[in-house]
This record gives sequence, structure tokens and C-alpha cells, in this order.
Amino acid sequence: MMKLLKTEWLKLKNYNAFIVLSSFLVLGVFTTNYIVYTVNKNIVGNVNTGGLVSSFNPYSFSMTWQTTSYATGWLLMLPALLLIILVTNEFTYKTNRQNIIDGWSREEFINVKLALALIIAVCMTILVFITALLFGFASGTDFSLNGFSHVGYFFLKSLSYNLIAVLMGVWIRRTGFAIGLYFIYLGAENIISQLLDVWSIKLRSEHGIDLGSMGDYLPMNASDGLLTFPDNPLKSIAKSNLPTDYIWLVIVLAAGYLVLFYWLSRRKIIKSDL
Amino acid sequence: MEVLKVENLSKNYGQIKALKEVNFSVPAGTVFGILGPNGSGKTTLLGIIMDVLKASGGSYRLFGQEPTHEHRKQIGTLLETPNFYHYMTAVQNLKVSAAIKERGEDDIDRVLEIVNLAARKNSRFSTYSLGMKQRLAIGAALLGNPDVLVFDEPTNGLDPVGIAEIRELIKKLSQQGKTIIMASHLLDEVEKVCTHVAILKQGNLLTYGDVNEILVNEDVVEIRSSEMSRMEDVMKRIPGHTSIKLSEGNLHLLFPAGTADLASVNRFCFDNGITLSHLQLKKKSLESKFFELTN
Repeated sequence: MMKLLKTEWLKLKNYNAFIVLSSFLVLGVFTTNYIVYTVNKNIVGNVNTGGLVSSFNPYSFSMTWQTTSYATGWLLMLPALLLIILVTNEFTYKTNRQNIIDGWSREEFINVKLALALIIAVCMTILVFITALLFGFASGTDFSLNGFSHVGYFFLKSLSYNLIAVLMGVWIRRTGFAIGLYFIYLGAENIISQLLDVWSIKLRSEHGIDLGSMGDYLPMNASDGLLTFPDNPLKSIAKSNLPTDYIWLVIVLAAGYLVLFYWLSRRKIIKSDL
Repeated sequence: MEVLKVENLSKNYGQIKALKEVNFSVPAGTVFGILGPNGSGKTTLLGIIMDVLKASGGSYRLFGQEPTHEHRKQIGTLLETPNFYHYMTAVQNLKVSAAIKERGEDDIDRVLEIVNLAARKNSRFSTYSLGMKQRLAIGAALLGNPDVLVFDEPTNGLDPVGIAEIRELIKKLSQQGKTIIMASHLLDEVEKVCTHVAILKQGNLLTYGDVNEILVNEDVVEIRSSEMSRMEDVMKRIPGHTSIKLSEGNLHLLFPAGTADLASVNRFCFDNGITLSHLQLKKKSLESKFFELTN
């Protein structure tokens, strides 16, 4: 695999879009979290809520893991976009064919793209770890690993976004269409997820059936649903009426979807004409 | 040894049968031309062998073995169009090819010299003309000096000088004992460089074998006189011929390969009171053979 990744690096290191998007991403992670940090500190902290919210500091240890993971989660479309471009470029310029002709197997071709999706997810997670650490210390609280599981959820979400991007790339093959469909799918699934959540609440309140937030059982929302902004005390009170969050079920589903995306991407490359 | 053996290879695109149970083999050390009009299945055939297309039926063997991606590393291939990363230079692109083929990068300068791209080796691929792109693709195929080369329409986009250079290159490679499989619709190109030929039409393999056997399966004696219609009647009686036909003011007498004797034809005409103004033994051109087979 190292040999394959070295070859892939030869393609990436000369690609300006990769350099530019990666730089934006690193800057974006720090900037986004800084904005959230500042807004909370200067605006939310000054709202009079009967003393309930003023004590809420989302970047303190141990909430920093959850807040940073959640805030950075909004940027995960950027690496996904990059992956779609990298995969579809191979089809546009028929370099996928040339790689195979030159001696890669079809499995090697798709495996290195999937490995790239994994590496990007790992890099993003490391970035989140460092950012959370910095803002945690900046908030003046003592280090704690409580809530660190959210960094793991972030990794799942990042990998999920990346693998869907690879899947779209290998199935759609055209850059514009693949990006378009990616965003349409994100939007559509979000709407369906909201409707399912409303249904879940209705089932619980009217029939006493608690199936959890069913919106979280969809492919993108499974990993999305794991990451939420830390509950402030007001929201915690309101939440008692909502369906239970079956976290382990959602984790298993998210992992299951990852396996599905991986399998579908491989199958497409291995079985079809290039 | 056979470099390539194709057995009952078929490819369907929905209802369209692009290849229909094609069988042939390519002996080592030959320049094997795959000839056929546009859409005859040449590129589809090579695409299957290079694993970018999936066969609907049949099989093939490379170097006498079940084909794997490792075999493709030993073959230099230009398939259909030059496929390179448009944002990378020639050298950067060849580094990717060399890495995949597991060949050293030290061969890059040599192949760029061969295809006359050394001066532009650090220019981006997107700035290349069509001819330069084609040259780079040929250069990439030569990386690592493989013993087997596959060229699909190698002279596409080249100017006359470029065409002649590539033709010479193919001849030189052949003299070095390399096996070259070349698909082309340019009959002249195939005739000038190939030792073996396979002719495809609408996915069917019409014939294949030694180029001399395929071309020289008939001798054509071309004759002309001032009394063409009487000569035609007289020549119908000449012994040993297979057919007679008029062609552009000449009469063509067809004999089985190696049996035509110009002196006998001349004597036969003279004995029958016909004076010839033109007498010539013609080797059947690949073009006429091609049209005869494909029409």
C-alpha cells in the first residue's frame, strides 16, 4: 500500500487545487472554531437567561471535544469536494485507464482512493484534536478527556463524508454532476431526516413508542446525528421530551454505512468498464 | 512462444456485438497489425486485453499464462488516446507511469529523447499539441524498454514527418526483437511495418496470419492491348487462372499465388493474335485485399 500511496502523492503534490483546498481547510478549522468561541464568549454569554446560560462555556474541558468536533463538522464538505474532484478527474482525463494499463490492478486503483479518504479523515481528526486542545486551554480550564468520544464520532463523520464522495465520484464520473448530486443528496437526506425526527417525537408523545430519532438512521445523518453542539441548560430541560438517543445503534449504523460505501465503490471499479 | 492468445473473445454493448468470438494468437517477435475500419472492434479488443474493458465471453492469455496486472507492467501500451494528468509536466507524468510500472525514473530522459520531447519535458501536458501528446504517450509506452508494445493508432495526430519517424521507430524496435501489436485503420501504415496481420470487421475476425500469406494468396497479371474485348474472350481460355476482371482500362488475370508466369501469358496472347501493350505482375495490395474482405 505504501508504494501505491507514494504514486498517489506524485499526482497530488503537483495539483494546485489540492494545495489550495488543503490550506483553506486548515485555516478554516481554526477560523470557524475561533468564530464560535468569540460569538459565545462575547454575545451568548451576555444574554440574560436567568443565570442559566451565562455559566455555559462550550470550549471548556471537557466540552471542547464536542464543540470543536461539531463546529469543524460543517467544513467536512471541503475534503469531500476535493475527493470528488480527485476521483472524477481520473475519469475525465482517462488516467484511471492509464493507471490500469500501466500495471495497477483495478483493486489497487480503488483501494488507494479509499485509503486517501481514510487518510484525509485521520488528518481532519488530528486537526480537530489539536484545535480542541488549543481552545480548551485558551478557555482557562483544566485538561480533561471526558467527552473525547466526540472526536471519535467526528472521525466517523469525516470518513462517512469522504467515502460518500468517493462513491459519488466512481459512480457518476463527471465532476459537475457528482458535486451537484452530492449536495442534492445531503439536502434531501436532511429534509427526510427532519421529517423522520418529527415522526419520532409524535410516536413517543402520542403512542408512547420510543424508537429514537429515526432521522439519525439514514446514511449521512447517522454520523451527523452523533455530533451535536453541547446542550446548554435550557436545551437540556427541553430535551427530556424528545425520543431517546440510541447512540450505539447509530454508531453501528454509521459503521455499517461505511462498509456499504466501501463495498459499492470497489464493486463499481472492479466490475465495470473503465 | 505466444505473447498473446485470444480465445472466443466477445464483447457486447447492450444489443450491439462489438466483438464476436475472436480467436488468434500473436507469436513473439512479430509486428502484429490489427486492421479494420472504424468501429470494427480493434480498440475494444485491446481494451479487454489491457483490462480497462470487461469481456462478455471468452478469454485471453498473456505470455502463456492467466493474465494479471503484473503482466501489464511488462507491456508498453498506448491505447486510443494519450491519457495524462493535464496539470503535470511530461517528466512528472512519466514519473507516475514509471512508479506504477515499477521501473526506475532514470529511463525518462532516454524515452523523451526518442520521441523528441526533451526540449519540452518541463512543460505542462495541457500546453502540448495533439502530436506532442501522442509522442509523449509513445514515450510512456517505451519506459523501461519493454519487450512487448501495444500501439493503438500510434500515428494519430502526427504530421507526415512524425508519422515517418514513428514508422522507423517501430521498425527499429522490431529489429531489436520486440513484439509489437499495432491496431490501425491506416492500411499503408500496417503494410509498411507489419509481419502479421489480423483483419476485423464489425467485431468479426475475417482472417489473420503472416502478412505475406494474406497478401500473396493470389498473383495478379495486369495486361492491356488495343483489342480489349477480344482479348477478354481469348484470355478466358488461358490455363491455370482463377478469374478475370476489367479494372481501369486493364485486364486483371488472377492466378493462385506463385503460379503466374508472364512469359506464358505473353506467348498465349501472341499465339492467339493479340499484341500486348502492357504486361505486369502485381502483388495484391493490402488495400485491395482489405476491401475485398470487408466489402
